[in-house]
Amino acid sequence: MGGYGDVQCIDENGIRLDGRTKDEVRPVHIETGVVPVADGSARMTWGLNDVIAAVYGPMEAHPRKIQRQDRAVLDVRYNMAPFSTTDRIRPGFNRRSREISKVTAEALESVVLTELYPRSKIRVEIEIICAEAGTRCAGITAASVALAHAGIPMSDMVVSVASGKVHDIVVCDLNKEEDNYGEADLPMGILPNSGELVFLQMDGDLSPDQFQEAWDYNMKATQVIHAEMVRALKGGDE
Amino acid sequence: MKGRSVARPDNMSGDKGAGGPRGSRQAPLLVAPGDDLGDSGGLEAGHGVLAINGRLRALKQGRMSNRDGTVSIEPRRTAYVPRPSDLVIGYIEGCTSNIWFIDIGAPFNAILPMSLGPSKAEFGGIRKVLDIGDAILCRVQEVEENHSSVVTMKGMGLRAIRAGSVEDIDPHLLGRLIGRGGNNLRQLKEDTECRVVAGDNGRVWLDGDLSGIVEARDRLNALLTEAKVEEYRGDA
Amino acid sequence: MAIPLVPKLLRAHLAELAAEDQRHDGRGRFVGRDTELEINCLPRAEGSAKVRMGDTIVYAGVKFQIMTPYPDRPNQGGLMCSAEVRPVAGRNWEPGPPSPQSIELGRVVDRGIRESGCINTEDLCLIPGEKAWQVILDLFAVSDDGNLFDAFALAGIAALKSAVIPAERFGIGEDQPLDVAKTPVMCSYHKVGGRFVYDADKREELGGDERIHITLGDDDHVHSLQKGLKGIFTAAEFAEIMDQARLRCAELRDLIDEKLEGV
Repeated sequence: MGGYGDVQCIDENGIRLDGRTKDEVRPVHIETGVVPVADGSARMTWGLNDVIAAVYGPMEAHPRKIQRQDRAVLDVRYNMAPFSTTDRIRPGFNRRSREISKVTAEALESVVLTELYPRSKIRVEIEIICAEAGTRCAGITAASVALAHAGIPMSDMVVSVASGKVHDIVVCDLNKEEDNYGEADLPMGILPNSGELVFLQMDGDLSPDQFQEAWDYNMKATQVIHAEMVRALKGGDE
Repeated sequence: MKGRSVARPDNMSGDKGAGGPRGSRQAPLLVAPGDDLGDSGGLEAGHGVLAINGRLRALKQGRMSNRDGTVSIEPRRTAYVPRPSDLVIGYIEGCTSNIWFIDIGAPFNAILPMSLGPSKAEFGGIRKVLDIGDAILCRVQEVEENHSSVVTMKGMGLRAIRAGSVEDIDPHLLGRLIGRGGNNLRQLKEDTECRVVAGDNGRVWLDGDLSGIVEARDRLNALLTEAKVEEYRGDA
Repeated sequence: MAIPLVPKLLRAHLAELAAEDQRHDGRGRFVGRDTELEINCLPRAEGSAKVRMGDTIVYAGVKFQIMTPYPDRPNQGGLMCSAEVRPVAGRNWEPGPPSPQSIELGRVVDRGIRESGCINTEDLCLIPGEKAWQVILDLFAVSDDGNLFDAFALAGIAALKSAVIPAERFGIGEDQPLDVAKTPVMCSYHKVGGRFVYDADKREELGGDERIHITLGDDDHVHSLQKGLKGIFTAAEFAEIMDQARLRCAELRDLIDEKLEGV
């Protein structure tokens, strides 16, 4: 989070750079079956984000060291394609991607009924084709749809969204400029049917009231996004 | 969820003959994981459904139906999980001096000990009996807690598959392939003059004249396409 | 990549079909799967394409960077081709360092494009010895149902031909289209059931033997050839697929032109 320079993220009428008001979610569209050879898959476009998630499994957990005797493990890979950002990303090991893969796995493991498949693994492959703030949230959300598409039993799906603060105003679902220049970022992973959480990170500066406001925005946004997830699974684009 | 973790024709919303809405007593409802399906009072949780805190909850995406008080979900797709006495088509992936390892399309390979194989081999000659890459028709004898299994070729009709073609379909579509009382399968065999053996693991063996095999495969593909289209019919 | 088990039954069945001039999905011997090409589909790339051949789906993205010319070629910029088949693309594509299969894929596609000379690296030079454009072509597989070679090659050349040099963003003048003087196109033939067929899908790749990749440019000039995997073929077999390649490459070239015109 650096200084704003002369970027005005929200104007005097409360309109943001992409035309939204402070409480609106970016346009979301989800389709399933976009990786035909996978057991389940989904594509999510969210603002300029374009994210693909594919699921393979359950299968025998290899290498041996990741195997658990009592349940399946989620083997998650989050990756950004080289052409997903303005500056090319060199393919290869990336610490940020490794961390995101881990918190994504932990979020999804909280809802997948892993005890049904001991000693197995379920591969979740998340590829960011085009990036615009909130890719980790898009990844978790698309992965939930892909898992459902693959017939993996889950107690609920996970919806993930990040609200934050710009020019001391709390806004819902940060876009690129707001993520780059803003003062706070609060990504959450929410179970839409209960309001419970499986994923939570935060950085920046939020007063107690602002924190509550951002939290509430994420909860509301969850319902909007969840409706699209369900539409994609039921209506289908296969 | 014990005992209910797999979509099989015998514990799904319809009987073997009902591949779609006609088998259910109510109009089918499309559900997604996490959906609340109502009070669980007097109802059983079937495939893809969990009873928790007095409510029924969907664990999978698919068509929900209530058949004789059991609420189940017919999902778009299921992984094959072996059960004892399942008839399966497998491929030999590897072997030791007296055991073959069989890929049966499940998360774990199955084991075929030489004593349950087609015939005894001399020591070091196991691959002369069944070689890597061979296909077999066998039956699941027992399954461990972690779903790895032992298969046997001792039994009527069990054998090495040396001719024809093996196609893959989703296990939960077997009911549709076989039809009520086995009608669809019987018709397919007659029309194509092929041997058609449907394994419980979703592998189907077609054997006969090449033209018969080609026609049988076309009809299998048509069945898969029809299932995909029907999948999304229902209350959205 | 995990090497999958090849069922003997599959090979026997494919041979039986081949003897009757048939393929398991009903296609003709030299008929390709339904092919879709989309360009300008990646907003953050300077050139892009997406190709779908049956259930094989790939992206190609072109990005530009500033490089220092190599000491022995002070007047030239660079073209770099990078191919990735990540685990997303299939059950048998395992995580980890690039496998020999994906390295071969990248290098064969790279040669086809580079050796055609379709990009003049001297044109990419900005200040001799100091500054030049580096063109980076990233090939990215999303779904592997066979014949990634042709999908990558088609997406790659289409992305290059649609690329615009982002001079403005680097403060070096006005944006201009990348000059791509030729259109090299690849056609791959797999020996399945004893004979070469075009555009093999995953099942045919699994049960098949050797493969031959042919890249032809404008006027049927030959730009690269590669034979892969174990197997023996005759001059006559090669001549036959070379004839076929001329026809099909021309068709694909027309498809590329059609999409570029629509821009």
